[in-house]
Formats: sequence, structure tokens, C-alpha cells
Amino acid sequence: MDNLGVFLQIIFWGLYAGCIYILLATGLNLIFGVMKIVNFAHGEFLMVGAYITATIFFLTGINPYLIILLSMLVLIGIGAVVERFCFRPILGTGKLNEIFLSIGLIYIFQNGAAMVWGDSWQSVKSPYDGITVPVGSLFVPLDYILIMIFTAAILCGLYLFLKKTTIGMQMRATSQNRKGAMLVGINVERIDVISFGLGCALAAAAGTLWIVSGQVFNPYMGSIPAIKAFTIIILGGLGSIPGAIIGGLLMGLAENGAAFLLGGIWKDAISFVILIIVLVVRPTGLFGEKGE
Amino acid sequence: MKYSVLFIAIILIAVALIAGCTQQQTASAAPAIIKVGVIASLTGPASNVGTSMWQSAQVAADKINADGGVTLKDGSKAQLKLIVGDDESTQQGGQTAATKLITDDKVDILVGGYSSAVTSAYEQTIAEYKVPYIVTGASSPIITHRTDIDTSYIFHHCTTTDTYGQYTTTFIDQVLRSAINKKFNFTADRPLRLALIYQDTAFGKGVQSAVNDTITKNKLNIQLVAQQSFKMGESDFRTQLTAIKAVNPDAVYLAAFPNEGAPLITQARRDIGLNTIFFNVENNDNAQFYKDVGQYGEGSIIESRFSPYTAPAGAVADAQNVFKQSYFAKFGTYPDALGASTYEGVFIAAKAIGNTGTTDKASVRQALVDLKMPQIIEAMKDQTISFSPDFRESTFDLWMEQLSYNATLGETRPAIVWPDNLKATDFILPSWYVAGSSS
Repeated sequence: MDNLGVFLQIIFWGLYAGCIYILLATGLNLIFGVMKIVNFAHGEFLMVGAYITATIFFLTGINPYLIILLSMLVLIGIGAVVERFCFRPILGTGKLNEIFLSIGLIYIFQNGAAMVWGDSWQSVKSPYDGITVPVGSLFVPLDYILIMIFTAAILCGLYLFLKKTTIGMQMRATSQNRKGAMLVGINVERIDVISFGLGCALAAAAGTLWIVSGQVFNPYMGSIPAIKAFTIIILGGLGSIPGAIIGGLLMGLAENGAAFLLGGIWKDAISFVILIIVLVVRPTGLFGEKGE
Repeated sequence: MKYSVLFIAIILIAVALIAGCTQQQTASAAPAIIKVGVIASLTGPASNVGTSMWQSAQVAADKINADGGVTLKDGSKAQLKLIVGDDESTQQGGQTAATKLITDDKVDILVGGYSSAVTSAYEQTIAEYKVPYIVTGASSPIITHRTDIDTSYIFHHCTTTDTYGQYTTTFIDQVLRSAINKKFNFTADRPLRLALIYQDTAFGKGVQSAVNDTITKNKLNIQLVAQQSFKMGESDFRTQLTAIKAVNPDAVYLAAFPNEGAPLITQARRDIGLNTIFFNVENNDNAQFYKDVGQYGEGSIIESRFSPYTAPAGAVADAQNVFKQSYFAKFGTYPDALGASTYEGVFIAAKAIGNTGTTDKASVRQALVDLKMPQIIEAMKDQTISFSPDFRESTFDLWMEQLSYNATLGETRPAIVWPDNLKATDFILPSWYVAGSSS
């Protein structure tokens, strides 16, 4: 493998990692944009989504790429319940309550998942395992191409939903001015439920794509990705979906570049180095002022 | 004044009587229960191996108790009571678990400990309370070699990274080299290109250090062409593997936990196209590893002393089989190498307490120092379990296994290929194997 080949391969792995981060961070930003709540338990929705997909796959053998939609629907339901019974009662009572509530949710979801599914590592074998396709000078597994296609499709779907549907427009209005939205008759509590559910569904998509790529998973898998998702939304700009997309891609590329150039132990640290630099140079994040 | 004096006198007499009674009780009463604390990673990245260790300890305690328990100095029998402490695969969790077992549960002896980084974090507590601790999973030699704290109550009953790092490197030099040279018609003086990818912890760095030292001290013609690291619990290794593939190694040595080793090999062969031989540390000789790695494990090598799926012919084969069957009957799966040493650790604890006839911690420590007991389920040096006088380490007989894929099972299975006196089959280079090159 020549130097260019290695470089392109690293870029490719960075794009793949970026896809997972984008979905997770976009969901988190959607929730923050509309409700302005800090949910540290967002990574647990990724974990639950992964387990739902894996469980259905183990029981039925259905192609996991097809299960992704079902997993997202289930997470919309779970998200709606969590929003209604956990976050809504404390909405507006202070960030500290939201933080402690979400930390509590982390333990509840992790221990609940360990009770239901056990806490051993598990893995899922994609039906396309072992199939490679040529991409330029590289031969890459088909699964990674599918993961990128699915990510792009989900983001396009989200874009159309937010731009073209009445609920999407109401979500954007609530995000821009919650009181104004209430004054024009938008049921913001309904929008909160939908936003939270959609955010969780995106996390479920990230979880599903995580496991079909062959990565092992257990009930504690969501903690680190959640921290990274927070880093990404601060990097991209709080509440900005384009910021989450660009931030996710940057994070994926930076992590893999750092692992290659500086060593694996810098993989996680580089996220925070970039975050500090961006906050010092541009405290609102890359898209903090212009974003949606 | 008269009543005050009388009151004080009564209090003093009462205190003296109570103290006397308590002292008499301590002197005469033999413990009917011996509390054995088991520190294991039941949650977190190391939970797979930790669960095997805890469950193996239970099988051992069941066996000892069913056989009547431990005979004490006065001839009475005591039953073992296991109390588990979950270190949560973290240093803080390990500290909490050890402190609770020692101060709240007041255990008589400790067994277990996985992840050298986690175990070394709470060794200070062991030193402070002077509780005998038989470490059966943490493999870095620092566990008993460190000098910043008193480790005299800590005994090491598992292979150290120094030992298996040296053993594996010797196999690479003697067996892999000749197989590659023979198959590809290379000259005998061609340097073997070895890549190393290791967990960035005391465990991984211990393996890295052992490999480097073995090459240097023995002047082996092995060139370390890459040394990549990763964080404990990592699941995406593609970038480091891409860097390794770029330098065209003849083989890759992994210092990883099973939950890291299986995706490492899978990603290397499936995603990167790194068609080489992977060397694994003994903790990967684990049922879940075989399940996770699937067909991508074909051709890989595991250094081992106990396997869920094979055993060397000889004295320990039957004993291993009995243990595996007991374990399977209770838990529906098979134990791993670290489970085996933890199983033995409970027997060693019982033997030491039985030999000294008391649970007095200093006496039990001395009994462990003096211990010489026949090997149990693992093949030991001189067929005897004993601890070295310098660093209190036991010595195991090791072997190397090569994995082959069983399509019916959908998993690989091991066969011993080295040393010659234990091997069931010869080491082979798979047909898909690609030798390394400097260009």
C-alpha cells in the first residue's frame, strides 16, 4: 500500500466514523435546539437502538439494514415516554436538574439493558460481511458504503421533514423562538415530544449502523459516543444541524488522523483539543450564530 | 462522691468482664465460615473475563464445601463463603470493591483481580490492611515487583506479561520464521517483520516491553516494524491496522482483551485485508472470543495454559475436563484461562488456611509463602503450585494453539501446536497467508 493509498484509507475510516457521530450529534442537537435541554443519556438511546436491532436480527435473521426503520420507530416511542415523564416535569427548572436527571437515566438504561440482554460483549454479522467493492484505488467493505448511504438518506429525510412538513416547520419555529411559537398557536409540548422522539430515533440509527459494521457492543457502549456527540455539537454550534454534520465529519477525520499520526491513545483526546481551540477562537462554535 | 467511686468501679469491672469474655471467645472459637473475597470485573469492558473468574470461583467453593470444607487447627471444619466485589473494569471501581470487601465484609483472604491497571490501583489498600491476596488475572509483573508499596501480602497465580511475551516471541522466532522461510524460499538470515498492537495500559505495555526485551537480549533476528497502541475498551482499530498493513508485517502480535482481540482480528482481515498470522495473549482463550471472531480467527495463534475447547494430553486433562463440565452444568458455557487460575486461587486460599489452621492473616500469608501443593487443573512447573521466594509468582507450563474454522459450528477451535511434547498437530501457514516485505 503506497502513501496515497494509506492516506485515502484513513480518510475513508474517518468518514465512516463521522457518519455514526453525525447521526448521534444531529439527534442531540435536534433535542437541544427545540427544548434547550442537556441530555447526557443520549448515548444510551444509541445503545438501546443497537440492542433492539440485534435482538430482532438474532430472532428473525432479517437483514439488519431493514430493521433500522423498526428500531427507529421503537426509539421514537421510548423517547416520547422519557420526554413526557422525565424531562417535561423539570423543563425550565434549571440545567442542574436536567444534568442529574440525565445521569440517572444513564444508570437506569445501562442496568436495565444489562438485566434484559446481559452485559457481555456481543456482535452482529452483516449479511454483506466479507464483500468488498472498489472505491477509486481502494477496495472497501460494502457495509461501510451502505452505512454512508444510509446516513446520507436519513439526513436528507430529516432535511425534507424539517423544511417541507408542517410539523418540521413548527419544530424550527419552536427552536428559533419558543414563546413566539406558543403565541402563534403551536403546541410546543407536542413539538417537544416529537423532537425528543426524532432525536432518539437518530441515535437508534447510529446504534444500528455501529453494530452492522461489526463492532462489538454491550450496555455501556453509549457513554463515550455521547461525550463525543456533545463535543461535536459544541464544536459545530449548539442547536445547529449543519454544525453537527460538519462537526461529526471533522471529528471522525481528526480522530483517525490522530490515531495514525500520533498513536491510538490520542484518538479520543484530539476531540477535546479541537474543541478547546474552536472555543477559544470562536466561542459560539463553527455554525453557532448562523445555524438553525 | 461515694456513689461516683462505686459507679466507676462497677463500670471498670463490667468492662474487664466483657473484655475477658470477648478475649476468651476469640481464643477458643474457630470460624465456621471462611470469607473469601473475589474481586472480578462483572461490568465494563472486561466483564466477559471477569464473569468467568467469578463463576469459576463459585465452582471451586462448591467443590470444596461439598467435600466437607477446610479443616482447621482444632480439627473443626469451616465452609467457604465467597463474597464478590465488582471492580467495574475501572480503577475507582476496583478501589471501592477492595475497600468494601476488606472493611465492610471483613474477608479473610482475597482472590481474583483482572486488568493490571485496575488491580495496581487498589494494591495500596491491600498493603495497608495486610490481607492475603492471590491475584489470578492481572498479568503485569508490576503487581508483585513494584517497590513503592508493600506487596508482601500479594501472590501472583497467573502468567505474567514477561513470561508469555517471551514465550510467544520465542515461538515466532523458532516456528513461524522457519515456516515462512520454507514456504516462500526465503534465506535463513531474512529478518522476520513483526508488528505489535497493544492496549495502552500496564498489561499492554508489559507485553510490549517483554517482546522488545526478548528480541534484544536474545539477539533475535526479528524486526519490530510497527508498534501501535489503543485505549482499553476501544472497538474501532481500523486506522492503526491500516498503519500496520502499510509496513507489510509477517505477523501481528496483539496485546488485547477478548472484547478487543476479536474485533481487532475481524477488522484486520475483513476490512483492511491484512492476511497474516495474529498472535493473541492467553486471556483471549475465551468462549466468547471464539464466537465473536468467527471465521476470521482461522490461522491465528493463542498462547495459553487453559482453553475452553482443548487440553494437553496428560495428568491435568481429566481434572480440566471435570472442572469444565461442572462449570458448564452450572452456567451453560465454558470457563477461560483466567477462570481456571481463579478456580485454583480459591483452592490455594483454602489450602493455605487449612495448612495454618487459622484465618489469622499473617499466618495465612506465611502459609502461602511456604505453600507446596500438587497442581490442580493447570500444568505447573514440577507439577507443583508454589510461589517464588522473590516476587511470589507461580510458574505455569504454557503452550501455543492455532485456530481452525469449523463451518458446522460457525466458530474456530484451537489445537495445540507447540511445544513438541504437548502438540496435537503441526503449525501451518494458511493458504491465504501473505508474507511481509520491506517494500
